[in-house]
Parts: sequence; C-alpha cells; structure tokens
Amino acid sequence: MHLSDRVTGTILIVLGALAFWGGSLLPAVPGQNVGPAAFPMVIGGGLMICGALIAIGIGRSFEAPGPERSEAPPGLASRIGGLAAALPPLLLIFYVLVAERLGFLPTAAIILLVTALALGAGWRLAVGVALIGPPAVHVVFHNLLRVPLPAGILPAPW
Amino acid sequence: MNTLLEAFSMIATTEVAVAILASAVYGMVIGALPGLTATMATALLVPITFYLSPIAAIATIITASAMAIFSGDIPGALMRIPGTPASAAYTDEAYALTRKGQAEVALGAALWFSALGGIFGAVALMILAPALAEMALSFSTYEYFWLFFLGLMCATLVARSSPIKAIAAALLGLLITCIGIQNPGGVPRFTFGFTDLLGGIEVLPALVGVFAVSEIMRALTSAPPPPIPNRRLGSILSGQWALTRRYKKQMWRGNVVGVLVGALPGAGADMAAWIAYANSRRFSKEPEKFGTGHPEGLVESGSANNAALAGGWVPATLFGIPGDTITAIAIGVLYMKGLNPGPTLFTEKASSMYALYMVFIIANILMIPLGIVMIRTSRHVLRAPRAAAMPIILLLCAVGTFAIGNNPFAIVLVAVFGVLGFVMERNGFPVAALVLGIVMGTMVEHNFVTSLIKSDGELLPFFERPVSAVLATMTIAALLWPVFVWLLRRLRQARPA
Repeated sequence: MHLSDRVTGTILIVLGALAFWGGSLLPAVPGQNVGPAAFPMVIGGGLMICGALIAIGIGRSFEAPGPERSEAPPGLASRIGGLAAALPPLLLIFYVLVAERLGFLPTAAIILLVTALALGAGWRLAVGVALIGPPAVHVVFHNLLRVPLPAGILPAPW
Repeated sequence: MNTLLEAFSMIATTEVAVAILASAVYGMVIGALPGLTATMATALLVPITFYLSPIAAIATIITASAMAIFSGDIPGALMRIPGTPASAAYTDEAYALTRKGQAEVALGAALWFSALGGIFGAVALMILAPALAEMALSFSTYEYFWLFFLGLMCATLVARSSPIKAIAAALLGLLITCIGIQNPGGVPRFTFGFTDLLGGIEVLPALVGVFAVSEIMRALTSAPPPPIPNRRLGSILSGQWALTRRYKKQMWRGNVVGVLVGALPGAGADMAAWIAYANSRRFSKEPEKFGTGHPEGLVESGSANNAALAGGWVPATLFGIPGDTITAIAIGVLYMKGLNPGPTLFTEKASSMYALYMVFIIANILMIPLGIVMIRTSRHVLRAPRAAAMPIILLLCAVGTFAIGNNPFAIVLVAVFGVLGFVMERNGFPVAALVLGIVMGTMVEHNFVTSLIKSDGELLPFFERPVSAVLATMTIAALLWPVFVWLLRRLRQARPA
C-alpha cells in the first residue's frame, strides 16, 4: 500500500492534533504543574510539525530509492495483487475470534492451510504443513511450556 | 575472582548448555532462510525465555542472534539473496566469489570473521560497559532525558531514509507508549474505554507484529527465491588464516566500526556492514577489484556485523537504550528476569554480567563447528520452501504472544502492528525508529516529567549540569544535522562547479 507523502503527512498532522487535543483534556495532578498531559502534547506538537514537513516534501532527497519491483508472486497474490498482504492480520483476528470455540488444532490447521496455499504451495505441501504443524506447536506450547491453548471441539489426545 | 567463579557456575548448568545449543541451531536455520531475519528469530524466542532461568534466557537471545547474523551470509553467497539484512551489504561480493568457483572462500570468510568479530565485540563490551557504568552512576534525570533523546535522534540519523520520516516514526512509537495508566497522573490515557488498553501496549506483540507479521505480508506480495544450485564445497576454513594475516588491518577496522555502530542506538548489524564495506573500499589499495569477488570487503564487513551485535548491548545494559532492534527485544527480557538495565547492574549483579560476556564468547566459538555443519547441510535447509516456513511462523506469532500473558488481545495487537509495520515500510518510514520509540517511551516520559517537576517547569536546568549541557548540544546538533546537509546540497546546486 503505497501512499503519497502528502497523504501520510496529513495523517500525521491529524494524529498529532488529536494527541495534542486528547492530551490537553487529561486531568492535572493537584499541586503539580506537570502532569500526564505534558508528554502527549509535546509529541502531538512534534508529529504535527513532522507531518507538515513530510507533506510539503522536505527530506525526500535523503530517501534511498526503493527496491525495484520484482516479478509477480505466485499463488493467491497473482490473482488479487497487493490485497494478499491483508491475509496474515486477518488470519490472526480469525484465530482470536474462533480459537476458543473451535479449539487450537482445527483453527491452527485452517490458518496454516490458507497461508501455505496463498504463498503458492501445492495442495500436497499445504495439507502436509496443516496436518503436521499444529500438533507440533501444540506439544511445545501446551505440554512443555504449559500454555493453556483452547481445546474446543477437538481436544488433543495427548 | 569470586564473581568470575560465580559467573562460571551460573553458566555451567545443563539448562544453559541445552539453551545455547538449541538456540544456536534455531538461529542458524532461521538466519539462513531468506526473509526470516535475526530480529524475527529473537522476537519469536521471547515467549520461550519466560520459562528459563535469567542466564539461560539471555544466553538463548545472544546465541540465536549471533548465529542468525552469520548464517544470513550463506544464502547470500550461494544464491545472491541475503538471509538477513545484515548480509545485504556484501551479498554481491560473496556471490561473485561463488561464481568464480570459490564458494568455500566466501563462506569460510563469512564464518571465520563472523566468529572473530563476535569475540572482539564481546571483549569490547566487557571493557567498555563497566567503565561507562562508573560515569553513568552520577547521571540525574536531566542527563537521562538528553541521553534518551539523543538515542532517538541517532536512530533517525542513521536510518537510510528521510530523517523527518524517521523522527515521525520515533514520535509515533512514543505516542503509543502514552496509552495506559502508567503515567505521571495515574489516569487512563488514550484507552478509549477499553480495559485491555489500561495496562498499556506491551512491547513484544508490537515487535512480533512489526518484524514477523509484516515480513509474512511482504512475502505474500513478492516472488519466492529461486532454488539453490547444486554445488560441491571444498574445505571451508583452509586459507582463512592466510586471509586473516593478509587483511589484518581491515579486520580490526571492521571490528572497531562494528562495535561503535552497534552501540549507536537504532543502528545495528546491517548498518555496521554497510559502513564497513564502504570503508573497506575507500581505504583499499585495489578498490577496482571490489564487486568482482574480492575477499577484502567480506573480511571487513563480515567482522563488523557480528561485532555490532555485542556493541548493541553496551547502551542496552547501561541505560536501557537499545543499540539495535535485537537488544530492543533483549531489554524486555532483562527487565523480566530482574536484571534491570542501569549502571548498578555492573555492581549488584556483576556475576550475571560476567556470565553474559562468557555466553557471548562461547556462542562465537561454538559458531565455527556449527557453522561448518550448517554450510555443509545448507543445500537441504535452503530447499525448505517458503510456503512451508512462513505459515508456521504466522502460527508462532499468534501462540507466542498469547503465551506471555494468556491474553488473546495480544494477538489482536500483533495483527495491528503487522499492518502498521507493513504500511510504514512501504512508505519509507523506518520501523527501527518506531520500535526504539516504543521501547524507550515510558523512560523518556518519566525522566522528562521528573526533570520538569524538579525544575518547576523551567527549561534552563536541563542545560545547567556540565554533562547534560554536552548531551543537549549533541542532541540539538543531531537534530539540526539534516538541515545542515540539506542547505549544503542547496548551496552546491546553486553554484555548479
């Protein structure tokens, strides 16, 4: 997701202004002239200045040229382009939403299968990863490190 | 002497030995796989360190990062793809050697000088850190404020990007630490009514998101590396002693540059390698040979990136200021294990510090035999398809961050920071500066507000003590430096010679 400097600069100005304003609303500590408001207000001010400088293009001459685009990636990304990048964060949210009910093993298997396929793996490799990965991770984290991974509908037999 | 013995007994346990061996193998493999960085390897290790003794925990981080920085050279030399960013500076050179049929020279130099550089870095850390600790004992909140500020400014100076974007990234990191009730007033700040935000944003989910998830996101939008060609390798270490004698000066220069760059906040092994490679070329008697498979630059930058690792621990243990992204993670582990960074660490926990130095040296010695094994088996390791490694990393991101507090909200944070890191990187904002801001934010605010309360809101006392005046001058100079460079360029353009 490439945005122009004008857009990122404006986002920073808005964010800085919000931080400054939000900071100024914080209650002061009685009998003390500096409280929780000072730091966010200083940062908010700094962000607004930086945002303005970025928006008008100062400092661009320092930037190293970005890497040239390589050939098209395989798998999912070749079909939906840059949107494929949204997959990992969406899968993490998916984990948070369903792991408790569905259980760790099935949820993890779904995540592995989808990611492997999206990266261009064949069905054989993707299914293999999805079958071997979750039990291995489960043994290390649940049995060795005693992390309470959700059992859900498919509790691990060990 | 007593402390030395005590330190020795701390590391001479089965737990530490197993931790070092296991993390060494782990670091070697992760470092060798393109797209998986040393920082990512370290971040994913943190959940495991929860369950280890303090010294074993620190040992895993030191060992894994040292091994990963070396083994990043392997795919660089064999496939012209750096395994970690720290190898990027001399990948072309190493690959040129391979094309000339001297792959073993390139890999051997990478291994040998990595280990030597790492040992030099450890010795430098051993000498520098306690000496500086004496001085740091007299620091007040004013000095600490300037020191943290200077650290943030350094990170913006060395970033290979616009200094203004780097400052903005650092400020964003500081703003993130404003969230929660850990502030001078103890009031909920920027929590928007979410109880999960009351405790603030934890550093580890942020790091895992920025360094691991955004890397997987990048993998989904880029082509996989080509398969590794089949090649028989000769003896790895033969000829390295001759190289050491021939390029003695280059090696020492690389070591010193590595430690210094590593100690600068925000600049880590990758920056050290770039600077050392450029130095090597500038001072070389035969600069025309660079880029055609000439080992001179490899010697200098290969030693520099491993020396930088230890250099990064100097400000980390002394002040809690991360020297690079790896120590940014290590600081969290230090706090967790009761080894709070600060000058008193060297007096009160002296034996732990000695143990830390020893682990550094052991790890770098162990690197040589393990490295040879890794190089010999690299053909098989590197054949592991990205489509199999990346999904497992994603799963580990979720489970690892959950393991720390058994809180699913941490996984949401990982996702959010993954997106943030990805978008920032794409738009030229250095994520290292953001991480530095997140790691240092609470301390910056604490020292800033305490100083302001002490001075009754006046700014003059910030400059009155001699050391703080020097630090303030350096900070302001660092802040104005880009403006100066910009003006200079303008003047030169106006008067074309």
